[in-house]
Amino acid sequence: MSSENKDFNKTKAFLIDMTKCTGCRGCQVACKQWNQLGAEKTEFFTGEGYQNPPLMSEYTFTRIKFRDYEKNGQNEFAFYKEMCMHCNEPACASVCPVGAFKKTKEGPVTYDADRCIGCRFCMVACPFGVPKYEWSKALPLVRKCTGCYSRVKEGLKPACATTCVSAITYGNREDMIKEANKRIAARPEKYLKKLYGSEEAGGTSVIYLTALPFDELGFKPVTKRPLPSYTWQALRLVPGIFLTVGSSLSLLSWFNHRKERIAKEEEMRKSGATPKEES
Amino acid sequence: MTAAKIIANEIKGYHRFVQFLIVLVALGALASLARFVFGLGVTTNLNDTFPWGLWISFDVVTAVPLAAGAFTLGAIVHCFHIKKLEPLVRPAIVTGFLGYSLVCVGLLLDLGQPQRCWHTMVYWNPHSPMFEVSMCIAAYTTVLFLEFLSPVCEKFGYHVPLRLLRTIEMPLVIAAASISTLHQSSLGTFFLIAVDKLHSLWYNPLLPLLFWLSAMCAGISIIIVEATMSHKYMGQPDEGELLETLAKILPWVITVYLSVKIFSLVALTQGPLFNRPGLLVLFAVEVLCGVILPLVMLMSRNVRESSRLRATAAWLVIAGVILNRFNVSMFGMEAPGTFYYPSFLESVVTIGIIAAHILFFVLIAKYFPIFEHHPETVDYSIPDHFRKNEKGHAHGAAKA
Repeated sequence: MSSENKDFNKTKAFLIDMTKCTGCRGCQVACKQWNQLGAEKTEFFTGEGYQNPPLMSEYTFTRIKFRDYEKNGQNEFAFYKEMCMHCNEPACASVCPVGAFKKTKEGPVTYDADRCIGCRFCMVACPFGVPKYEWSKALPLVRKCTGCYSRVKEGLKPACATTCVSAITYGNREDMIKEANKRIAARPEKYLKKLYGSEEAGGTSVIYLTALPFDELGFKPVTKRPLPSYTWQALRLVPGIFLTVGSSLSLLSWFNHRKERIAKEEEMRKSGATPKEES
Repeated sequence: MTAAKIIANEIKGYHRFVQFLIVLVALGALASLARFVFGLGVTTNLNDTFPWGLWISFDVVTAVPLAAGAFTLGAIVHCFHIKKLEPLVRPAIVTGFLGYSLVCVGLLLDLGQPQRCWHTMVYWNPHSPMFEVSMCIAAYTTVLFLEFLSPVCEKFGYHVPLRLLRTIEMPLVIAAASISTLHQSSLGTFFLIAVDKLHSLWYNPLLPLLFWLSAMCAGISIIIVEATMSHKYMGQPDEGELLETLAKILPWVITVYLSVKIFSLVALTQGPLFNRPGLLVLFAVEVLCGVILPLVMLMSRNVRESSRLRATAAWLVIAGVILNRFNVSMFGMEAPGTFYYPSFLESVVTIGIIAAHILFFVLIAKYFPIFEHHPETVDYSIPDHFRKNEKGHAHGAAKA
């Protein structure tokens, strides 16, 4: 991967405490405002539950997923804020043929629309299903949460983190993980004793705390190994294979042709003829 | 008579089937126009869950191994020096050149921003299998074009370029084989990133190697099928004896492919294999009918000697490879409960591309010396403008 620094402790990260989320969806609105995203015509209950819009899309970079469950005979809501995870070693950046995605040193994974050729490999590669396509356009591009890089670079917090009154904390990744573990230690009865994002896909810049198990909330089960390493273990062999195949075939054909040439010369010597014009 | 009239008259003289192909190609062209006018979202069944559909699965991931005949045969004939197979090389090169050109067409239709396709050449990302494949496809299409120039130059009697082409023949063959090795396998690398998406029946770290091996199986089988059909329907010379030799080589390649496949399935696969009955059936059909059955068939001398049975076995191999590519790039990638099927327009475009392939092949065979290229019968010599050969350069003969 192109990420020079393997130390992601100082990159900026979100700590999203889903137990503190009230489902107000202020983050969705703030995201749309900052990124100038169009509205979507939606209907209630087209998705799994109360969430609206039903899915992330070219117009929706983040959304709150609602899950109903029962606690002590009472109906309760649990939430999951779906957004780009800003992986430490992003799959999208590794597969993009033109390098349109970049893991910035500040933490957000940015997308350069001027480079993108629209091949959608990032969408196939992303384990979280984040990049979305402008299906409405004749010449579409990819859209995704940029972690409000334009704000972060100037020292501001991302739009959703600024708006959120309770659940989102933004800061250095190591501090966020420390803080998360502190909260689990302080209220062990309240939290699931696991963090989502500390190791998923090799570590991400979004760390989640939840009360319910991850799969029940709609978090995707994801490998702990950085995804780019899966393709790199094959791709790193490319120059070697090229040279090996090329040179062994060259040698092989040189030998075979030499054999033929010698046989021909032998034949000519035997027949005593002068080498005549040949093909 | 105007040029248009001459062409119209010429087309009127074609066989019904060829005219039908022209109609299909025209429909495909219209459908691809619709893709640019109305956009990908409206004309295809692609969406954020299925970003890649028929155009990637067939026009790219399947069409590339189907065009592998050129590099496989080139290496067999020129590097392993099984010279007698040479008459089959030219049709294979034409198929390869057409195949790759049409892969480029399919790829451009599928790209969101086809006008930016040159970006891959400028903004390098060596970590991307897609970058590697697009560089290779560009390079290999050029190589195939150069190899394809030989019959064109022969047709028009351009002797100097012919001489040049003959000098670089061996480097081209070797470049073709090495470049093909890279991108045939890298197409498999594409799906290594789909760690938790591609089903473990197909997902394993040796996927690139499997793609390369099966591409060679497909390449050899395509040559067999093509030569059999062009003998049967186009009245081209019967190459039965040569195809028999190929049919002897083919089971060896299939055996290697099958052993690697079994090894990777048993030793390298992580995750459950038997949790999706539908996929299990697809996998069983792919391996039993597309690999094992033709392997068993080709081991019998009777099959190899019978033109009909040999072609049947080759068809089975091809079907197996096609199903394998669809399993990897489409069926195996679908999450449980979701389903993608191509839209009408997507299908029309792909049918148009297949029709274009057959059409151009028939037309090229009609107008250029493709099948007549029997080295023992064709006069190879170049007019000796430079009076080089008269002095008796024996070593000049080795290359030819």
